[in-house]
Amino acid sequence: MIERTGWLLDIYTHPQDGVVVWLLDEDGTRRRLRQTLPVIFFAAGPPERLRLLWRFLGEQPQPPQLSRAERRDLFNPEPFPVLAIQVENPATQPLLFNRVAAAFPDLVYYDADLPISLRHAALYGTFPLARCQVAIDEGEKIASLFTLDSPWELDLPVPPLRILSLEPDVDPFHATPCYLNITCQRSSYRLALSPPRPMLVNLSAILQRHDPDLLLTTWGDTWLLPRLLELSEQNNIPLPLNRETGLGIAYRKERSYFTYGQIIYRGGQILLSGRWHIDAHNAMLFHDYGMEGIFELARVTALPVQTVARVSPGSGISAMQMQTALRQGILIPWHKQQSESPKTALELMRADHGGLVYQPLIGLHQDVAEIDFISMYPSIMVRFNISPETVGQESPTAELIPELALVVEQEHPGLVPRTLAPLLKKRLALKRRLADLPAWHPRRTSYKAYASAHKWLLVTCFGYLGYKNARFGRIEAHEAVTAFGREVLLRAKETAEDMGFTVLHMYVDGLWVKKEGLCQPADFQPLLAEIAGRTGLPIALEGVYRWVAFLSSRQNERVPVANRYFGVFQDGSLKMRGIETRRRDTPRFIAETQEQMLLCLGQAERACELELYLPQVFSLLRRQIAALRNGKAPLQHLLVSQKLSRTLPEYRSPSPAARALQQLQNIQKTLKPGQCVRFIYTRGEPGVHAWDLPEPPDPDCVDVQRYTNLLIRAASTILQPLGVSETALRDRLLAGLIAQENLFETRSTLPAWHSLQPPA
Amino acid sequence: MGRTLPSITQVFLQEQESFARFRRALRRSDQLALDDLFAAAHQHLAAAAYAAHALPFEVFLLAMLLEEHKEVLRLRRLLESALPASDD
Repeated sequence: MIERTGWLLDIYTHPQDGVVVWLLDEDGTRRRLRQTLPVIFFAAGPPERLRLLWRFLGEQPQPPQLSRAERRDLFNPEPFPVLAIQVENPATQPLLFNRVAAAFPDLVYYDADLPISLRHAALYGTFPLARCQVAIDEGEKIASLFTLDSPWELDLPVPPLRILSLEPDVDPFHATPCYLNITCQRSSYRLALSPPRPMLVNLSAILQRHDPDLLLTTWGDTWLLPRLLELSEQNNIPLPLNRETGLGIAYRKERSYFTYGQIIYRGGQILLSGRWHIDAHNAMLFHDYGMEGIFELARVTALPVQTVARVSPGSGISAMQMQTALRQGILIPWHKQQSESPKTALELMRADHGGLVYQPLIGLHQDVAEIDFISMYPSIMVRFNISPETVGQESPTAELIPELALVVEQEHPGLVPRTLAPLLKKRLALKRRLADLPAWHPRRTSYKAYASAHKWLLVTCFGYLGYKNARFGRIEAHEAVTAFGREVLLRAKETAEDMGFTVLHMYVDGLWVKKEGLCQPADFQPLLAEIAGRTGLPIALEGVYRWVAFLSSRQNERVPVANRYFGVFQDGSLKMRGIETRRRDTPRFIAETQEQMLLCLGQAERACELELYLPQVFSLLRRQIAALRNGKAPLQHLLVSQKLSRTLPEYRSPSPAARALQQLQNIQKTLKPGQCVRFIYTRGEPGVHAWDLPEPPDPDCVDVQRYTNLLIRAASTILQPLGVSETALRDRLLAGLIAQENLFETRSTLPAWHSLQPPA
Repeated sequence: MGRTLPSITQVFLQEQESFARFRRALRRSDQLALDDLFAAAHQHLAAAAYAAHALPFEVFLLAMLLEEHKEVLRLRRLLESALPASDD
C-alpha cells in the first residue's frame, strides 16, 4: 500500500470498476484509481407493495442487497419505514432504478437519481480540485481517502493543470473553417481540416503527447467535436478525446427552454471522462466569470467541472442542498411532493408579491449615496431561518411574519439556511478582502470571478424556493422571503427618513438617498449602522454618486421608470442601467458612442458643471454621424444581434429579425429559439442583411438613416435629463447648427416639476 | 415562474384602459389633464402594490389626490411667499 497526496480531477462510475477517481498527484502523474462505493436508494409505500418490490428485486440478474430501514424526510420529523436497496456498482443503479420505477410507479422513491460526485462529496467531503490524501492498494484501488481542503477557504490554489485549447479559424456558423488552431503549454499547432486523415493522425498524436486535463474549445459542443468525431469514424482513425479508454463519449442534446421571462438556447453537449471538455461558447456565464468562476462553482457545489460549466446556477444550488440533506440523513425525494396550501383570496393578494420597486424622482441629483443590502434574500433566509420545512411550523420560538400571518420556526436551523450560511460567509469575507486589496493586486481578478459565481448561486437559491420542480421548494417559503424583503426595505426607508435623508429611489434591496451637506462615504456610515441595527441584515455603501440621473419613460416624460438611470461615482466610474449601451441588441457603434458621451460628461465634478461638457458631446456626436455617412463605421460594429423568441412560422409580423432568419433559412441555415440572429440594416427591401449569409453585405447598402436615428435616440437618452429633447437634438445635429445658446432655449419648454430638487 | 396575480403595473394599465371610452369622449385639453392624473397615480405603484388592497382603483384615486394635494401645498407656499402677509 502506498500513500499519495494530490488534487481530485474527476469522479465517475464505470461498468466494471465501480467508481473511478482521477487524481493529479503532487509528483505530476495523473492517477486513475478505483473505489468501491455501494449506493443505496429507498422506496416507501404500502407494506404489501414493498413486499412485491422486494420479490421483484430478488429476481433481478444481479439482485441488490435489501433491508428494511427507518428514515425521515424533510417534512416529516418522525422516521417512517422504507425499503433500502443497496447496489454494489453505482454504474448499474440508474438502469435498475428505471426498471423499478416502471414496474412500481405508485411507490415513492428517495435518493434515486443522485450524481455519484454528490454522494462522494457527502461521504468524504470531496470536491473538484480538492487536495486529497489517499492510501492505494495494489490494483490502483483506494483503501482510504481524506480530503485536506475545505471548499470554504478563500485561497485555494489551482493545481498545475494542462490545458489544451482547440478552435476553428473562423466561426463555423458564419463561414466554413479551414484550419484548426491548437495551443498547449508552450506549443501551438495549425492543422488543415482537409484532408481529414493527416489532420486526425496529427491531432491524435498531439492529444497523446500533451495528455491535457482540460480541453478548452470554442464551438466544441455545437460544431467542432461532433465534426471531429464524425470524421474520425468515417476515416476509422480513433481520436483519444477521452482519457478513460473504453468508455464512450457522453452526448446531451440541444434544447430551448423558457425561464424568467426569456427563452434560452442551450447547445448540445459533449462530456468526456477523465478529462474535462469546456466549450467557451456553450458554457453558462463563461463571459461573466471565466475558468476561475467555473472552478469556484465546482468547489462549492461539488459538481464535476465540466458539468458545472454548463448547468444553470439553479442546479448548483440544488446540488448543495442535496449534500446538506445527505449529510443530515434526510431523504431526497425523486419528485417533489409538496403542493401549495390553500389560501383565501385576500391572503393570496398579500402573499403573491415580489420585492418593492419604487418609481424614482425623475431628473438629475447630486451627491447621492446608493446603499444595498448584501445578498438580501439569502441573508433573510439565513437570518430568519426560512426553509421549506420551517415555514408554517408552530413552536415556542417561532417568529411571526405579520404581513402573511405565517410563523417561521426558529429553533432548528432549516435545510436552506444551513446550506447557504457558509456560502454567505465566504461571500462576505470575499467582499471584505476585495475592499482591502489595491486595484493592481493580481488576486483581484480571481476574487471578482468567485464573487460573480457566488452571486449567481445566491440569486437562484431564492427562485428555487418557489420553483415548482425544485425538490426542496415551497411557495410559502418563497413568499416569506419577499415579505421579509419588503419589511426590511421599508424599515430602511423609515430609518433614512428619521435621520433626515431624502429617499430618491428604492429597488428591492437598494436605496438611493441624499442629505444636504453629506457627500463623503464616511458621512453615510451612521445611516448604514442604524439600518443594520434595525433590520439585522448586512448593508453596504455601493458608492456615492457625484451625480445621477433617473430617466422617465419614452412614452410619457412624467412617468418615471424604475430601472433606467446613469450616474458617475466619486472615483469617476460610471454606472448605467436600462439604457441602450446595456442592451444586447444595440449595435456596438451606438453603444460605444453612448459610453463615450457618458465618459465625457463624467468629467463633471458637479451636476451644475455638466453644461460645460455639452460642446464636447455634440462634436463627438457630429463626428460619429459623419463616420456613419462616410462609411467609416466598421460593418461589424453596426451588427444588430437579436435573440429569437420563436421559430420562423410563429412570427406573425415580418420583424427585421424574422426577415434575417428567413434569409438564413433560404440557404438551409437554421437557428433555434433562444439563439441570436445577427444582421445589418440595409436600404430598400428587405431592409436587413443576415450576417451569417455567405456573401458579405455591400457597405454602400447600409441604411445610414436608420443608424443615425438609433444614434440620436441613444444620445437623447443621455441628454434628456440635461433638458435637451430628442427633437431639438435631431434638428440641430442634422442641420449641423449646434449653437449652444439655441440648445439651451429648449430648456425653457421644460415643465416646472422638472427641477433638480425633488418635490417637497 | 408563473404569477397567480397580475402585477400592480398590469392592474394599473387595465384600470387606465377601462377608461378609454371615457377619455375618448373628453375634449383634447381634458384628455391631457386626465393623463396627468394617471401619471400622478403611476408614481405610487410601489405603495399601491404594498397596500395589496382588494379594490386597487381606490388606491390609485387616493394617489391622484395625494399628488393634487402636494401641488396645492406647493402653490399655497408660493402664494404666501409672493403676497405680503395680511393682518386679518
